[in-house]
Amino acid sequence: MIAATHAPLNTDNKPVLSLQNISKSFPGVKALQNVSFSINTGEVHALLGENGAGKSTLIKIISGVYQPDSNPDNSLSKHKRTADDTSKIQLDGITVNLDSPRTAQKHGIATIYQELLLYPELSVAENIFMGHAPRTRFGTLDWTKTRQLAREQLASLDIHDLHVDQQVGSLSVGNRQRVEIAKALSQNARILIMDEPTAALTGTDVERLFRIVDLLRQRDVGVIYISHRLEEIFTLADRVTVLRDGATVGTRDVSDTTEDLLINMMVGRTISELYPKQPSVIGAPVLELENVTRAPLTKSISLCLRRGEILGLAGLVGSGRSELAQTIFGITPAQSGKIIHKDRPVSIKSPAKAVELGIAYVPEDRSTQGLIREMRISENTSMAVLKELSNATLIDTKAEQLLADQSIKKFAIRASSSEQLVEKLSGGNQQKVVLGKWMASRPEVLIMDEPTRGIDVGAKAEIHRLMSELACQGMAVLMISSELPEIMGMSDTIAVMREGELVATFDAADATQEQIASAMMGSGTTTRTAAAGDEAVTAIHGTASSQPGIDP
Amino acid sequence: MRRVLRLLASQEAVLLLTLITLFVVVGSINPRYIAERNLYSIFLGNAYIAVAAIGMTMVIISGNIDISVGSLIGVLATISGTMAVSGVPIILCWLAPVVFGVLISSITGFLVAYLRIPSIVVTLGMLSILKGGLIAVTGGAWINDLPDGYALAQLKPFGVPMPIYFMVVLTIVAALWMRHTATGRSIYAVGGNAEAARLSGISKRRTIMTVFAVHGAFVGIAAVLFATQLSVIQSTVPPNLELTIITASVVGGVSILGGTGTVIGSTLAAVLLAAIGSSLIFINVSPYWLRAVQGMMILLTVLADLYRRRRQGLVK
Amino acid sequence: MTSDNLPDKPASVASGAAATGEATGLSTPHHNSAGTNRNSNLLRRVFLSHEGVLLIILIASVLTLATQTDKFLTTDNLLNQCRLMAEVALVALPMTYIIITGGIDLSVGSILGLCAIVLGVAWKNYGLPLELAIVLCILTGALAGAVNGFFITMVGVPPLIMTLATLALYRGLAEGISQSRSVRGYPEWFYQLGQGQFWGIPSQLWLVIIALLISGFVLSRSIFGRALYAIGHNETGARYSALPVDRYKLIIYSLSGFMAGIAAFIFVSRVSTTRSDMGTGLELDVIAAVVLGGTSIFGGTGTILGTALGVVLIQLLKNGLALTGVKGDATIMVIGLVLIASILITNYARSRQSGQRSEH
Repeated sequence: MIAATHAPLNTDNKPVLSLQNISKSFPGVKALQNVSFSINTGEVHALLGENGAGKSTLIKIISGVYQPDSNPDNSLSKHKRTADDTSKIQLDGITVNLDSPRTAQKHGIATIYQELLLYPELSVAENIFMGHAPRTRFGTLDWTKTRQLAREQLASLDIHDLHVDQQVGSLSVGNRQRVEIAKALSQNARILIMDEPTAALTGTDVERLFRIVDLLRQRDVGVIYISHRLEEIFTLADRVTVLRDGATVGTRDVSDTTEDLLINMMVGRTISELYPKQPSVIGAPVLELENVTRAPLTKSISLCLRRGEILGLAGLVGSGRSELAQTIFGITPAQSGKIIHKDRPVSIKSPAKAVELGIAYVPEDRSTQGLIREMRISENTSMAVLKELSNATLIDTKAEQLLADQSIKKFAIRASSSEQLVEKLSGGNQQKVVLGKWMASRPEVLIMDEPTRGIDVGAKAEIHRLMSELACQGMAVLMISSELPEIMGMSDTIAVMREGELVATFDAADATQEQIASAMMGSGTTTRTAAAGDEAVTAIHGTASSQPGIDP
Repeated sequence: MRRVLRLLASQEAVLLLTLITLFVVVGSINPRYIAERNLYSIFLGNAYIAVAAIGMTMVIISGNIDISVGSLIGVLATISGTMAVSGVPIILCWLAPVVFGVLISSITGFLVAYLRIPSIVVTLGMLSILKGGLIAVTGGAWINDLPDGYALAQLKPFGVPMPIYFMVVLTIVAALWMRHTATGRSIYAVGGNAEAARLSGISKRRTIMTVFAVHGAFVGIAAVLFATQLSVIQSTVPPNLELTIITASVVGGVSILGGTGTVIGSTLAAVLLAAIGSSLIFINVSPYWLRAVQGMMILLTVLADLYRRRRQGLVK
Repeated sequence: MTSDNLPDKPASVASGAAATGEATGLSTPHHNSAGTNRNSNLLRRVFLSHEGVLLIILIASVLTLATQTDKFLTTDNLLNQCRLMAEVALVALPMTYIIITGGIDLSVGSILGLCAIVLGVAWKNYGLPLELAIVLCILTGALAGAVNGFFITMVGVPPLIMTLATLALYRGLAEGISQSRSVRGYPEWFYQLGQGQFWGIPSQLWLVIIALLISGFVLSRSIFGRALYAIGHNETGARYSALPVDRYKLIIYSLSGFMAGIAAFIFVSRVSTTRSDMGTGLELDVIAAVVLGGTSIFGGTGTILGTALGVVLIQLLKNGLALTGVKGDATIMVIGLVLIASILITNYARSRQSGQRSEH
């Protein structure tokens, strides 16, 4: 099934796919302008850029979801028009028109999307072969052959623990992703696009994914790899292309570049400007947890949040950090243990109760948890304080308007007016609307779950500055982050979770990245070491190079 | 071993076991329940529901619903009967409902697939149009004096009533089609994950259009069985017919969220529902409780399904 | 007709402030991002709004029908139509709430039937005072709705399938309890609500108007109403914003049952008899009216004004057709046609408006 007949690893440097001068505009927006990009066989090519830089538009063009603008005359008008200025997409040197996802697939281009595109009710084998299953000579589907081919496909990816008759809905996220990769390869993919493939994976799964990507490279598959995690790019990629504001900034061999350089290319500023944490005065405890438990991922957690303190909660994805936050916020109330709010034991059974106690939660997933994207900025801003904005039960729309305007001003939200729908804003501005919503509730405890995920670097710095300011004003902040540099740079105290338990607490001033990383991975345990080791290396790598940015 | 267990846990097996238990228990209370005559009457009067439920099952698996199905059966039966009375060759009278069924249902399919109006809204509209239109044209009059040879459902080749053949054969054909053809599987794909289906090159529009057309054919056949089972046709819409048909599909294991279910399940469920209805008389329970029992069955099926999904982690 | 009554009645039934709030709040389509130059856009907005389209259809139908038959545009006829549509109108109000949250309630017709039977059986067979039976009837409705709400919010059964189950279950209970025997012979005072008048206006119309104003006001101005829109757009987001999602959903389904209970009382009072098949198909009339009124079946949008227009339009068209000689139930044909047509027109108008805006 697999086209693995080409020359060995990386010797064949002929691009299998090349894009030249690709532009794409949407009404009012130029998403891409004269972007060029190419990928060789057996190459892992990372695509890097801030949110809104045009990465997803580019991969959607490659995968046939969008069509590039047909040789525009206006956007080229300032250039001298030469033959090379024409926009084209070439596969093996032949110009092609990728007019639909189906066409792209027929050309061997497959995409693993962030949101997994599988059929949860159907079997592994059927998921792999949906749309192109082998047929019998009567034209009906050949189930025996389908299952056999599926088994071979999985085996060729070194996956031996998946049964082809299993229902995909019952698989773990990592296994579903493997099924997706097998599905792509079953369609003879020569180019595989992976959009943030590690975003939802835990340590073991990340490591297995890296191994699979290596296997793909050996088979001469070209992998376009998109990730916000710089360290992954250094571990995996051969080349990296950086996009900024819809244009190519440059393409580099990974061996010839550094993180600082890449960040510079992305935003034109250095990493040391990212974490402007101000020292704050740490006061009395506001919220104390004693043995708080909620099955399955919050196991007997004891924590203390104090005024003016930023407590960084580190851990791998899936270690139970968000679950703990949701338990504190009353979404999944604690089953046992004590929560003490200003020396009084309380029980937080609902988010409303949490808000009443002055707790606010900026959740991990902005678009489904943080905001009602189809509603206005003003309506989102007021959502947590509607009671205060109303007399009896009627909403005072003037007060609501005022609140939204204040919030827009205070957080420098770039919007045409407070009447604008939130979905029209960029990721960073959306996150500021979430912050504005919770600041309106004047919380004493602010939980921020991955506050800067998927936000461009500029907005990231702004959020960090805000967080620091709030702590200085006496707010207790619980910050969950998967980025060690962020944890190291922003926290006063660092707590580490692993598999639902709180395994270590550090004073940020005394902690080293190695200590935190090893607490996260749980080095010493047998089964997980191999798996987590890889990420430990990348995590440490990431922090090491960002060390200059950490304030003393 | 694993396969055997999975087979036993399937909705079809549960239904079959329930059905057998019902026959054994009620049969031991009152043997007349499992007498040949009663069994035939269970099948005879309800086979058309099973046939219509096959199409309905496909529609629901594709992520849609058709609440106009009862009205459509009423209209098609009336068309067939009117043709028969006015002397059209009988074979055409049997074929016409299928043709019109496909046509009308395709209109529904077009509105859903191409104009993207939700199926519940479209079929709500179709329900009113068909039901109102039927009464407007016929005034609800009965069609009598049907010609000899028209009563397809009353034939008994080899001593077995015709509707049973239809029910069994159509169920098997539909099951094979859904399991072994690309189009059949694309129904599951579109209902299970429309976006993924699109990216696998499966056209959602064409699939939904096909589903409604095929559904129309099954409804047409159901209408013929319905029209020919008695010697008169009341040219109105049988009350609550759509509900009974949807109930059969749901109890048969189709998930109202789309993407899962089988036609074997829906046929077994249609039979089970009919058998329960018939059993009430034999155990001296007023038949007026039948619909309450049906409602409880839907509820229990759905709760069991939710429990299963939760255990498998399909929903949170 | 009802819309004619709206402006002059509120003073007597609601506070003046409420009335003015209603006038604006009712008609503001929820999510039209505000234009920069409001005045020039206002007209276009009105015409492009679903309510605008409906109003035009409504006026056109009234004019057409008035020229077809002189029995149509008479006070007697119009008031009588108000009587006939009262039950649908009452149940359509909570249905609007439910559909705005992205839910649906198919069981309202069966709840109405069950409540009617409870009323009749409690009074006739169990000898309860009629007043108490009425209270019991309405409570039964609220309880039946609460059962729906409980399974939907606490157990997680999808609303479509939950209410499909109770559509069968509640009707079955009505049939089982009554053994399909009807109840008649209610005392004279009982008919006051269904057949009587108050200041020359059918009694139930007063109830409808009050309910309409309150529910429109609640939807457009209260925290509760705002929360319903939020739930319809993004339930998780609403939950994470500390809105009491489950409680509100429980309330709207209970309210739906409660209104069906009141409608049952009015229905029995209007037709002087109780039968277990009462309200069969009511859910379709109600949902048709709500959807016709512009509430999206996907949730997140919809207004009470739209629903009111939907109810009125359907009733007038049915009546008009009946007067021009179309027989009995055949008039429901028009529901289907208008329903599909109005959605097509609105979709067409919107797609024209947003022109080449990209889907992605």
